Amino acid sequence: MNRFTRLTLALGAALTLGSSLAVTRGGTMVYGRYADSLFLDPVLNDANLDIWILTNLYDTLLQPSPDGKSVKPGLASRYVVSPNGRAMTLTLRPGIKFANGSPITAQDVKWSLDRARNPNNGAWNGSLASITSITAQGNTVVLNLKSPDPTLPAALATFNAAIMPQKLFNAAPGKNDAEKAKAFAEKPIGSGPFVLSEWKRGSSMVLKRNPYYWQKGEDGKALPYLDAVRFEIIPDDNTRILKLQAGELQGAEFIPLSRVSELKANPKINMQLFPSTQVNFITMNNRPKLKNGSANPLSDVRVRQALNYATNKDALIQVVTYGTGKPMRSFMSSTTPLFTAQQGYPYDVNKARQLLQAAGFGNGFEVSCLATSGSANDLALLTALQQMWGQVGVRLKIEQVDAATKTARYRENDFQMRTAGWTNDINDPSQITSYFAIYENVESLHTGFKNAEVEKLFAQSQSETSRVKRAGQYRRIQDIYMKASPIVFLYETPYPVALAKNVRGFVQIPLGNNIFTATSLEK
Amino acid sequence: MRWTYVLTRLLQIIPTLILAAVLVFTLVRLLPGDPASAILGDRATPEIVERTRRELGLDQPLPVQFARFVGRLLQGDFGISTSLKVPVLRLIAERLPVTLFLTLYAAVLGALLAVPLAVLAAVRRNTWVDAVIRAVFQVGLSLPVFYIALQLLTLLGARLGWFPIGGYGDTFAEHLYYLFLPALTLGFNLAAVLMRTLRASIIEVLTAEYVDFARAKGLRSRVIMTRHVLRNAMISTVTLLGLNIGALIGGAVITETVFAIPGVGRLMVDAIFGRDYPVIQGLTLMFAVIVSLVFLLTDLIHARLDPRAQHA
Repeated sequence: MNRFTRLTLALGAALTLGSSLAVTRGGTMVYGRYADSLFLDPVLNDANLDIWILTNLYDTLLQPSPDGKSVKPGLASRYVVSPNGRAMTLTLRPGIKFANGSPITAQDVKWSLDRARNPNNGAWNGSLASITSITAQGNTVVLNLKSPDPTLPAALATFNAAIMPQKLFNAAPGKNDAEKAKAFAEKPIGSGPFVLSEWKRGSSMVLKRNPYYWQKGEDGKALPYLDAVRFEIIPDDNTRILKLQAGELQGAEFIPLSRVSELKANPKINMQLFPSTQVNFITMNNRPKLKNGSANPLSDVRVRQALNYATNKDALIQVVTYGTGKPMRSFMSSTTPLFTAQQGYPYDVNKARQLLQAAGFGNGFEVSCLATSGSANDLALLTALQQMWGQVGVRLKIEQVDAATKTARYRENDFQMRTAGWTNDINDPSQITSYFAIYENVESLHTGFKNAEVEKLFAQSQSETSRVKRAGQYRRIQDIYMKASPIVFLYETPYPVALAKNVRGFVQIPLGNNIFTATSLEK
Repeated sequence: MRWTYVLTRLLQIIPTLILAAVLVFTLVRLLPGDPASAILGDRATPEIVERTRRELGLDQPLPVQFARFVGRLLQGDFGISTSLKVPVLRLIAERLPVTLFLTLYAAVLGALLAVPLAVLAAVRRNTWVDAVIRAVFQVGLSLPVFYIALQLLTLLGARLGWFPIGGYGDTFAEHLYYLFLPALTLGFNLAAVLMRTLRASIIEVLTAEYVDFARAKGLRSRVIMTRHVLRNAMISTVTLLGLNIGALIGGAVITETVFAIPGVGRLMVDAIFGRDYPVIQGLTLMFAVIVSLVFLLTDLIHARLDPRAQHA
């Protein structure tokens, strides 16, 4: 090889390397969703279908980190907590604007947070309950607190604390906040990376790039890289996959876990399993008597522990999640801040038999579980459990009902067992703990679980500013909960998203939010 | 055709609608689970559920709710969707044309498939041609709609790339193109039903005396077939087609889900799962109107084909 050839080769290599480093700007990414959003108001929305999209339209003062463990600056470049923990001062970035070009002021922030923490507004105001008043001046906002609140940074990084334009919202037609929200949500203006440009309900939604977005990309110019994201609503799993394979989509969510390995083997597709906060479990009614007055064997902690021992999690992970899940080691997912892995209940049929014997159910008993009709996962799970529990004499009856019926029966405590899943909405363990373990909220997921020590520790943890001490409180809570086993601990599952090979920089964070901010379509 | 006949039949639709309104109002409320808990899911506290129920007017006694519902209906107000928070009429106006397009398209494709094949099968009855045609449609009848849909999608959509997989398009030409596979799916099923009846009627008519007479007059068989045989054999088929429009709309629910078409079928399914009372009520009434009108139209065509029917 002479010097000239060598030089050309080196140059060529350098050029290829250089071009592979540069990010492509422009293009529209088409993304297949299984269902459409319902209502695009950050405060009054109802479901994950909204929540997971809202962050593209509205920005928050702080943002959840992509790994789900911490928060990072958003519209606010910094925040300082006062020494006594009773005030938080946030500094807004200079020159930030809404998607229509109007400036974001401290007054907009105050108004947005006041609206979000109003107890009459929506289901999420509790996360900002520690705030007593807000003062806005220049580019700083001060939140005055009842008591120190370690959850506040995470709360400010959550969808309901999104910053909205006060004047535009008030100019929307309608007599009250709810009516104005309906009108505003049809054509929302926020300060997220994208802005809604077209919405055909049940069919498609187009988000255009927000030209005033504050965050900069790798090339030093404003994000996002994409010109637009187009969501197409394709409820059928097979159709979503076919459309992706045909190149009509560049991304498809909720790929059935049964198809993951097949798509992983497809050279045209980049099959991703994003870590999630999703835990899958079975809630048990822990009360001595069921709604119909009959005695409930599940009120005995030994029986609940026995069922946990009789559950072969690894087998279930193979059968139901096709190997994509991992065993739950606490009631919270391993991606939740302050998660502590517990020893849990390794598969042990003998131990299960001993516990049942001790509880007076040596001959077993019959138990019924509510399942969502039409859910292949529920059916696979419960048929497998039927066999596993059958070995210790527990006869499992499967009751299939539709989701609304299931919720209704559950709310009335009219159930013995029920299949369930959970994902966090906030980057903090307090939300999941208050639902799973605090009776006052929703009777601990309607299990009826109540533990004085847990309640005390939780109350303390809500104003504990030392992260180390707080971690200790949560370690103890998780330990007590595991031992009391009000639920059958099953497995954590990821978010399966299939992408076209040329998609870069798309993330679904553990909270579920789809982040297209730094997504690009390479040529 | 007498206009009084048409008018009487139109007026007869009114009691049907009242009955439909009462029935659907009571039936959806017999379902366990209400809109508030369906929207809010498992996480909402009892207080939030209660507040939402109040906002939706669900805390009122049933007769009051019914009076409000009827009162609004009389003013042409179908209410606001509890989950989507937009007026029901607007949702229907957006989605109904899609389903109607699909249904009509399917009916046309179904008829285009069924009529020539029925004629062929009848003329060549008990030969291998007849056997093959009948076997194909027998299969069409026994296969579930979603299965046919998926097979068509996989073969003609994904593998050969001739048709888009799902969606609706923006222009008329695009609608025709995008909806071809779903319309074919539905149309195939319909053709299977129509073909059997039509074949049987054609065979019956072919043996009638007036056909023998026409043949004796020396008319060409094509003329006999179109002017005499088909016209008479169509009477029962048109009725059957009319009766099947209802079934077509039902079939559209599955087809719309598989092919990702934003029609009323999917809207209805979502509304039922979300216990979205105003949407369920509005759609049911609309279906009642459409089915009544289709039946009326069927009767009119029937009367046109067979003038005796008007006096019956």
